[in-house]
Amino acid sequence: MLMEVKNQLKVSLLAIKYAVMREMLNKVTFITNIIFMILNNASFIIQWLILFSLKDNVGGYSFKQVMLLWGIASATYGFAHFFFKKAFSLSDTINNGKLDVYLVQPKNVLLSAICTDVDVSAIGDMLYGYIMLFVYGFNISSFLLFTLFVICGGLIITCVSVILNSLSFWFQKSDIIADTGNSLMTNIATYPEGIFKGVVKILLFTLIPVGIANYLPVKIISEFNIYLFVIVIGVTILFIMLAFIIFNKGLKKYSSSNLMIARI
Amino acid sequence: MAIIEINKLSKTFKVKIKDKGLKGSLKAIIKPQYKMVKAVKNISFKVEKGEIIAFIGPNGAGKSTTIKMLTGILYPDKGNIKVLGIDTKLERKKLAYQIGTVFGQKEQLWTHLTPYDNFKFFGAIYDIPESRVEKKIEEFRVLFELDEFINTPVRNLSLGQRIRCEIVASLIHEPKILFLDEPTIGLDPVVKENIRTLIKRMNKEYKTTIFLTSHDVGDIEKLCKRVIIINDGQVVLDDSMENLKYHYLNKKIVEAKMKEKINLDDEEGITILKDKGYNLKIEVDTTKKSVADALKLLNPDKIVDINIANIPLEDIISNIYKKEGTKK
Repeated sequence: MLMEVKNQLKVSLLAIKYAVMREMLNKVTFITNIIFMILNNASFIIQWLILFSLKDNVGGYSFKQVMLLWGIASATYGFAHFFFKKAFSLSDTINNGKLDVYLVQPKNVLLSAICTDVDVSAIGDMLYGYIMLFVYGFNISSFLLFTLFVICGGLIITCVSVILNSLSFWFQKSDIIADTGNSLMTNIATYPEGIFKGVVKILLFTLIPVGIANYLPVKIISEFNIYLFVIVIGVTILFIMLAFIIFNKGLKKYSSSNLMIARI
Repeated sequence: MAIIEINKLSKTFKVKIKDKGLKGSLKAIIKPQYKMVKAVKNISFKVEKGEIIAFIGPNGAGKSTTIKMLTGILYPDKGNIKVLGIDTKLERKKLAYQIGTVFGQKEQLWTHLTPYDNFKFFGAIYDIPESRVEKKIEEFRVLFELDEFINTPVRNLSLGQRIRCEIVASLIHEPKILFLDEPTIGLDPVVKENIRTLIKRMNKEYKTTIFLTSHDVGDIEKLCKRVIIINDGQVVLDDSMENLKYHYLNKKIVEAKMKEKINLDDEEGITILKDKGYNLKIEVDTTKKSVADALKLLNPDKIVDINIANIPLEDIISNIYKKEGTKK
């Protein structure tokens, strides 16, 4: 079992390495993609500087906490899109019969399918996340917690995308639902928790787990709380399990296709 | 013991139907209608170790669906499949270690990597130690003449070189069975011949069982000893190539250049295909008339040149397809 996990990780990392090598074929595009993503994210600081010049706190967050929230949101997004880019277009892989290649290989189909491409600009998102951590205040414990939460949050948003995209096994055109779900998660992630109330807030801690992936980490880094910490880890494991169960259930319904396909 | 055993296998797909135009699309949203398409209907057959099997049929006959069920890509609705004693429904990973697949229309290689890097990647997929992968690559490099392009990125290779690499990549883990789905599609005659030689060599050197689907009669004729024809989801013929060629239609084509014109109208067992001047082309039904009798009718003294041939395999196969098509 351990050996199997080790071999699976080796293949997934090798696939990511090869995908990075492909992106590095064009050095200029590779570097500008990363730099422009950092600049793009940084442009939003201006909007928050203006808001905080008018008000001391927004939705219960100080300026530094908003920057930390931005850091976590951007780095989790970056982590997910760098390592699992294809999880966000999984319905296309399912609908166009592109899972065939992975089904004939003795490895986990879901991991093989989502770790086959990287989004280079996501490196910019990850770097930006760590810059924001410095803005918030760097120390070893906040760095370690931040890194752990980036991994957990990245896994949660990847799993939500896998679950939504897996609906394609049952319904055609479910990519629209998946796209909406993914952009909802990204858009909400950068606003302070306090501005959401009632049903929306419940949704943010359940169906659209931005609360778990972003808000709780900000709280824990600001003031460590073991209960909240366990919740974040527990929910991450729960989402990973759900993603695998739903994908594997759907895989039994997979109908392939005879489209001409090249792996590019 | 049979290496592949299929017993009463069936697969049905649910397909959405829609009337034409915008009105049809609106109706399909409000009240979607589906029809069940039976792609494979109750088929059974066995394949022995070391065989090269041609699994053929017209487009939409159920070939790809069957091959996908055999390789663990699709789940069958009914029936049993055992490949090397493994249930394809329950043990996909175990099966994957034992089989190789090449889909002519679906590329498995990374196009920006060289064949060498690709082979190393496939080695990792099948958990083969580095040193053994190196040894295997070296062996294939010599055997399949890859020297010229083993370090060129795959996207810069010709289609023929690429398919050759696809086949080699599928052999890295020494599979016991190789499934080839139209491996020669889009290739020129010389490259086709190369690929065929490669497949034959594989079967001879490694005793790999080959399960081949192809629309190219040359592939089938030159490689396979046994043919399974599938049409409309059912096996319509499972026979040796020899039987198919010589007994299925019991017909010979006789082409002769004569010294003078000969009239063979109304002769039983003879169909005139072409009669132009002194050139004559006839089809002899050997169940009604022997070839010797047909030659006597032609009068050997008046023959300048003669050629007796079997009906081309392509005609035999398309006749079988048509015959089964009209039964529907």
